[in-house]
Amino acid sequence: MNVLGFDTSTAATSVCLLRDDGEPFERIPTDEQLLGPPGHARELMPGVAAVMSDAGLAYTDLDAIAVGVGPGTFTGLRIGVATARALAHAEDIPVHPVSSLAALAQGIDAAHRLPLIDAKRGELFAALYSGAEELWPPFATSPGELIERVRKASLTAMAAGDGSLRFRQELEAGGIEICPAGAHAVRGLHICRLAALAPAVPPEAVLPNYLRDPDAKPQR
Amino acid sequence: MILGIETSCDDTCAAVVTPDGEILSNVVASQGLLHERYGGVVPEIASRRHLELVDAVTADALERADTSLDDVRSVAVTRGPGLIGALLVGVSSAKALAAARGLPLTPVNHLHGHVVASTLGENPIEPPLLCLVASGGHTFVARVDDPADHTVLGQTLDDAAGEAFDKGARILGLEYPGGPVIDRLAKEGDPEAFDFPRSLPGDGLDFSFSGLKTALLYRVRDLGEDEAERRRADLAASYQRAIVDVLETRARQAIEQYGVSRFAIGGGVAANSEWRARAQELDAELWVPPMALCTDNAAMIAGASRFQQPMPYPDYLSLDASARPAA
Ligand SMILES: [Zn+2]
Repeated sequence: MNVLGFDTSTAATSVCLLRDDGEPFERIPTDEQLLGPPGHARELMPGVAAVMSDAGLAYTDLDAIAVGVGPGTFTGLRIGVATARALAHAEDIPVHPVSSLAALAQGIDAAHRLPLIDAKRGELFAALYSGAEELWPPFATSPGELIERVRKASLTAMAAGDGSLRFRQELEAGGIEICPAGAHAVRGLHICRLAALAPAVPPEAVLPNYLRDPDAKPQR
Repeated sequence: MILGIETSCDDTCAAVVTPDGEILSNVVASQGLLHERYGGVVPEIASRRHLELVDAVTADALERADTSLDDVRSVAVTRGPGLIGALLVGVSSAKALAAARGLPLTPVNHLHGHVVASTLGENPIEPPLLCLVASGGHTFVARVDDPADHTVLGQTLDDAAGEAFDKGARILGLEYPGGPVIDRLAKEGDPEAFDFPRSLPGDGLDFSFSGLKTALLYRVRDLGEDEAERRRADLAASYQRAIVDVLETRARQAIEQYGVSRFAIGGGVAANSEWRARAQELDAELWVPPMALCTDNAAMIAGASRFQQPMPYPDYLSLDASARPAA
């Protein structure tokens, strides 16, 4: 299976082509890109073209598309999902929607893994994993509430993600450990790997997991 | 065959147009009712809905044109202006479709789409022409010498004409969108009953509708709730008359100043019965597009792309949407 996977849930754009022979061709964002301005529309398709060319594959060689469906930045998620769906339609291949938090947790080396994606407005999107098990499904929370919840569960959690970088001081002061640099991006490789476990879905059925209602302020 | 995609505001649109300008399909999934209770388009709600609909609308456009992606030779997409989150759904989808098939892509200015809508369909008009586009999002008069480009001669400095209808309807306690309700109600009222201001700002051909809306608000307040309710048809008729008078004045001035004898109207306000009738009296050969080409649609986007140089693969991969008109 040649799987193309990408994630646009944070300000950064991650892309990976996991080739049939198991070799990955990946673009991993830096921690700086995670905290910079988003550029998904400018970065995603050039990233896709780059990993495909590195792997020596054409679009017709793809067997599946894997996409991070959030939670995360609304506009970013829509760019990722719209791109995944259109590529899948054009090639008549399935899409595997993957939780961006689950993919982020794949990069954490600890017993209790706490992926944190910046939710803006002083909040975080969080989930908790132990081994392959999802202990806390994705939810939106303030750093203070999160610290309280982890404390009540009396466990030692290791956090990663742009949310953990954004609220590092507060979280560390609250007893939550933060991963070292380099583990904070939602990696395309992890999206591809989790896709193997996620069922394929018809492209038009794939939608972001927004986790939050829209702001209902009219434009005019 | 050209596949067009348009998602700049609250309509999810796809169309298939031939290189000669024949419209093979023109599909619009309108979100109007979704935004009704907010009294205006909510950008985040519109963007979410576009993503839900864009693939189905595109597939529908191909099917109705009795064709498939295999026969598409280029893709056209609205790049802006519009709601950025909404635009990005169409741009992302169009880029991925085109890239997967190695097709060229043409980014189109939404306003130019409205302007050249009149060059499509059964009875196309050819430049040189003047064009007045009025909708919920824009109001401008433009000159077209070559179908690849247009020059804006005047535009609204505040509210768009369609926006004036929406806001007026809200003040009168009518539903959204306001254009059709005011048009219907105005037929039962006296357009001379109330004297509303006709604002013609500056020496050029610009528009301004925000003062008119304020005048209506004060008049309704002065009349009191019961009286305003009783005279709602008169208020609607007088308010509509003021908007149409302004549009007509600017149209006449444009024709006089530029000496161009072909005139096209467009945008959702071109559906207004009083404006359509009044435009017939202009001293020019008039082109009134069918409704499907007045309101936002993708046929006008695919149509406009015919006059532009397409971007070959892979030059467009980093293309971004743009909320404002390109400089
Ligand atoms: Zn428009």
